[in-house]
Amino acid sequence: MNITASARAFEGKTAFTEACGLGTGPVPLEPYRSPEFFERERVQVFERAWLLVGREEEIPAYGDYFSTELLPGGVSAILNRGKDGRIRAFYNTCSHRGSQVLDGPTGNARRIVCPYHNWTYAADGDLISIPDEASFFAVDKKRCGLTQMATETWEGWIFVNLQRQPEVDLRTFLGDFADRLAGVPYVAADKPIVLKADLDANWKVVQDAFIESYHIPAIHKKTIAQTFSSSENRFARLLDARTFGPHRTVSMYGNPTMPLDERNKVEMLAYASGDTGSLIAAGTSSQMAEFLDHPAVNPTRAGCWSMDVNNLFPNTQIDFGPGGFWVHQFWPLTPTTSRYEVRFYVPDALNARQRLQQELYVARVIEVVLEDLANVARTQRGINSSGKDEMQLQDSEVGIRHSVEQLLKWVEAETVTEALA
Amino acid sequence: MSGAARLPQAFAELEPFVDSWGSHTTAGRLAARCERSMDEIRVFYEAMCARAEEAIGYVDRFGLDDLPDDARNLMALVLGLAQAHVAIEIHGQPRAPGTPWPNSIRIARGLPFLG
Repeated sequence: MNITASARAFEGKTAFTEACGLGTGPVPLEPYRSPEFFERERVQVFERAWLLVGREEEIPAYGDYFSTELLPGGVSAILNRGKDGRIRAFYNTCSHRGSQVLDGPTGNARRIVCPYHNWTYAADGDLISIPDEASFFAVDKKRCGLTQMATETWEGWIFVNLQRQPEVDLRTFLGDFADRLAGVPYVAADKPIVLKADLDANWKVVQDAFIESYHIPAIHKKTIAQTFSSSENRFARLLDARTFGPHRTVSMYGNPTMPLDERNKVEMLAYASGDTGSLIAAGTSSQMAEFLDHPAVNPTRAGCWSMDVNNLFPNTQIDFGPGGFWVHQFWPLTPTTSRYEVRFYVPDALNARQRLQQELYVARVIEVVLEDLANVARTQRGINSSGKDEMQLQDSEVGIRHSVEQLLKWVEAETVTEALA
Repeated sequence: MSGAARLPQAFAELEPFVDSWGSHTTAGRLAARCERSMDEIRVFYEAMCARAEEAIGYVDRFGLDDLPDDARNLMALVLGLAQAHVAIEIHGQPRAPGTPWPNSIRIARGLPFLG
């Protein structure tokens, strides 16, 4: 690694915005506060795009399921694995009187029994039995299975689509981005640690905070600023930014070494084994080497690299860092509120010190989210005041510019094919 | 507090912290830090740091999956240090400046062991 070379790289100006074919003018704020835009976004974006809901490893066996709430419409979906090994998605709605058939976020149900009147379905959605069927009026059971939702998987990620017949398949929707990310090994993916928070900000205000590192030296002064900026790169300028249809990736600068402060007894205790820094590796060193070797991970091969944000349109970010991957999602609730969800993946701890390292990691993630939570609410209040109608974006905020451009395109487009053109 | 020992004999002086810092969930330990004064946090931090290396050694004599109750309680106290770390070694105050408590962050799925 050559620190001098990377220092020089930050002396001039980057030109990601122009390289991505984007304009450089101000960007409208109306999509961040308007109820009308929120409604069009719900219909044109969230009811037409493929939405990531989880990983295959979360439902490895026949009958395993998880449920999820697809916002902003609040559609409850069940994802499960059938006897045939196939993953299916269903609307969580009984054919009898519409009750939700499964409660709870995860479980195993080879038979899905509606709690209201015990209508019973097989894992593939077929209706098996109706209690006191004789009192009904010739119900056609073949037509009364659970309603399937379109679902497809890619590289172990499970997606759903709220169009009954999706206009484009998942592969077409992902386009070149699928090629770039093909073959990334996702280790320890079976047991996500999941944090959720309801925030007083439009979902895009929250998503925007996670695709630029310009804010980190200011907002996260004590928690992570030292990881993302240094005297060589005081404003945490990006290493790389690229767009792939509606999707995008940015690669962020980072300090290669994080010296431990000997006065910090807990930090020393956790990392006394000689490791420096605050990393938790998701896998063994050979698994991590395979992950870090992938061309989409630290794509510029920078010595000073902290993380990559892979932003799948519209609302998912799969992030890569030196210790593995994690996922952020941003779901609209109302024009000015949203649900934030982060999932990170760690292996079972082998000993007490490793478990303490994981606890430190979780504790710090929560603090960083808390700092962002206070910040996004402040931003939304400013936007709501209508004092400004547009925002000024710099080159490191190219991901935000691309996000707004794509959302405006999808909202206007008659068809998904047109939106993707 | 009941009279029965909840920690291994060798760590008896840490008993007073079991109720306050020894929650078996990350959310419980997080609340313990957020609801305490800096002085209270520091008392636990100093007392626990002094014995933490030995506590880790004690716990590792068993497998994490197979801990007797008293060792499990001791491990929960070790994990309490992650929260004390946030106050003492990061913020210099119990909670991050300008952030609300209680707040809307929830741990929907925690770490599998004591999480």
